[in-house]
Amino acid sequence: MSLSFLDKSYNAFHDDQSFEEANSNTLTLYKEPGLVVPPTFNNAGFRDQSHEIAKKFAKGTTTLGFVFNKGIVIAVDSRASMGNYISSQNVKKVIEINPYLLGTMAGGAADCQFWERYLGMQCRLYELRNKRRITVSAASKLLVNIMYSYKGYGLSMGTMVAGWDHTGPNLFMVDNDGTRLKGNRFSVGSGSMFAYGVLDSGYRPDLTEEQACELGRRAIYHATHRDSMSGGIINVYLIREDGWHKISSTDMDHLHWNYVEDKKKEIADRNKL
Amino acid sequence: MSDCVIGIVGKDYVLLAADATAAFSIILMKDNEDKILKLDDNKLLAASGEAGDRVQFTEYIQKNLSLYKFRNDRALSTHGAAHFLRGELATALRKNPYQVNMLLAGYDKEIGGSLYYVDYLASMQKVPFGAHGYGSYFVWSILDKYAHLDMDLDEGIDVLNKCIAEVQKRLLLSTPRFIVKVVDKNGTREVSLDNSERAKIQQDKMDA
Amino acid sequence: MTTHISPQMASSGTQHGKFEPYVNNGGTTLAIPGKDFVIAAGDTRLSTGYSIHTRQSSKVFQLTDKCVIVTAGMQSDASTLHKTMHARLVHYEHAHGKQMSTEAIGQMLSNMLYGRRFFPYYTFNLVAGIDSKGQGVVYGYDAIGSYQSVEVGAMGTGQSLIQPLLDNQVAYKNHQLVPSKELDLERALSLVKDSFTSAGERDIYTGDSVEIAIITQEGIKYETLQLKQD
Repeated sequence: MSLSFLDKSYNAFHDDQSFEEANSNTLTLYKEPGLVVPPTFNNAGFRDQSHEIAKKFAKGTTTLGFVFNKGIVIAVDSRASMGNYISSQNVKKVIEINPYLLGTMAGGAADCQFWERYLGMQCRLYELRNKRRITVSAASKLLVNIMYSYKGYGLSMGTMVAGWDHTGPNLFMVDNDGTRLKGNRFSVGSGSMFAYGVLDSGYRPDLTEEQACELGRRAIYHATHRDSMSGGIINVYLIREDGWHKISSTDMDHLHWNYVEDKKKEIADRNKL
Repeated sequence: MSDCVIGIVGKDYVLLAADATAAFSIILMKDNEDKILKLDDNKLLAASGEAGDRVQFTEYIQKNLSLYKFRNDRALSTHGAAHFLRGELATALRKNPYQVNMLLAGYDKEIGGSLYYVDYLASMQKVPFGAHGYGSYFVWSILDKYAHLDMDLDEGIDVLNKCIAEVQKRLLLSTPRFIVKVVDKNGTREVSLDNSERAKIQQDKMDA
Repeated sequence: MTTHISPQMASSGTQHGKFEPYVNNGGTTLAIPGKDFVIAAGDTRLSTGYSIHTRQSSKVFQLTDKCVIVTAGMQSDASTLHKTMHARLVHYEHAHGKQMSTEAIGQMLSNMLYGRRFFPYYTFNLVAGIDSKGQGVVYGYDAIGSYQSVEVGAMGTGQSLIQPLLDNQVAYKNHQLVPSKELDLERALSLVKDSFTSAGERDIYTGDSVEIAIITQEGIKYETLQLKQD
């Protein structure tokens, strides 16, 4: 028995249109900014090909964020790859939504960039309409509702929305299947398991700002070292009550040789004792 | 399917338990995710299923029940809420299905506690106990053997403890934490699985 | 007697041709920004598979008096994109009485590409222009609108041959000691020419000739460089 109506990809292109509409050449679904959805007519070849093209954007990534007593640390790598080719080594994966809100980028670069730019606009409109800043919770919910409305269409994003509002520091993880999780420690991307290893074992809520930033940087460094899809520059941001601050932007390779030196010294000191 | 929800009707209450994990691929993203939503003062909805769908659907139901109460100055009964929920799920099933399995627990003055089992295909049944997910296979027999409608709260929690212990012992996928809530004549609240902790809370109440 | 059955005849059922709306027409583009200039270039070969259709198909399109776009990928989509952008820019000029800034063009292209998120333009773009501060700027894009300003950008079939070398020679990447020094127009131009002659030697899709747009405050000058014709 065919249950093709349960198939997501089928569903994605059918939605609610009548047959006549579905067979016309292009459809404009007036969702948010009027994206053109391709015709259902004979689209098997199109889907194969467009999928290939859509794959040609940044995929590998390591990003992390955690809440501690003094605020939130966000740390990310900067590599973008198209298959085996490294298409960029200095991608900005932290998107500055406004002075109090940051978004991180994992998955499709265009999807993250576009929707977080759109989120920035919505947050500004919220301020103008309500004469107060939007909460991190509400901002992340705006984003997840968009993600949910496009579920099954093939968007790709795993993002953290972080910021400081009247309730204090807040961190949310939002992804393309419509998940929205509140938490105080997240890592997203192909290198996230490596980052989690360092992050979980070094995390304490009472870290100083310097220690916290170094923990984030170190966790991303280890992820770039083990995950070929992550690398380049490591960017660290700190969010305090007065908004976000860019703390550092360090070449992974410089960090590596510094850490190697540190480890050598440590071993030498231990042998002296 | 790796998430697990369990519900039991007792003498004058209904218990709901849900695992508190949020997983992404092989990663445990969170171990304190609350999957039991308070629908109103005397209704709880435990849900498991597809990322995104779970929250979107249960919050949609919650908000519409609240709208109903606002418009009619009267809340829907548990029975009514169950049928509303099922109807919405059945309508969506032929358009864009929600992949959510639910247990609706409620307490009504006239009839006491009741529990409704609803799956993602919108089949619904009033049950004395129920469970969803891979965990349910380990739980059914325990509920069949031990659960009955005359249990007081402590007995109910003991049965729940047996269920959870078995899931944690035999199910390959780890479910380190469960969140348990109860609905009865006093409304809804979270309860501890730990007997001694519960006794202490009881004692504190008496002391006060 | 033996009957020969061709494989086509042997296969049962109707065979439908797949609708494949995309093709890569090959070619390489390059753009380098400097302090008060920017150079953008693209070769003029257009091929499908092993056939060369023409040796004079331009990849460079002038958008304003101080901004051009160079596009690699599929010629048809590039052409549509260029015409749509041109229409938007003419409309803008009529509505506002001035030309659109290079920064705004950058963001506009991102939105236009993302507008076709679910049926993308198969194009890889570089927007090169003088920004509102008078500095040279190059924006690099993926097919669906992710963009960022780049220190040097190469796109198309010769990207992997040219980009790593220019990262080293223009952006001074992966140097341990060499201090970065400012790039002048003369050196940038010679790097562009060398890059294309070299890519033409090793990439079957790059050749014939290169169109080079040199943009300064004074305007845009075009140069053509002949490449090998094989």
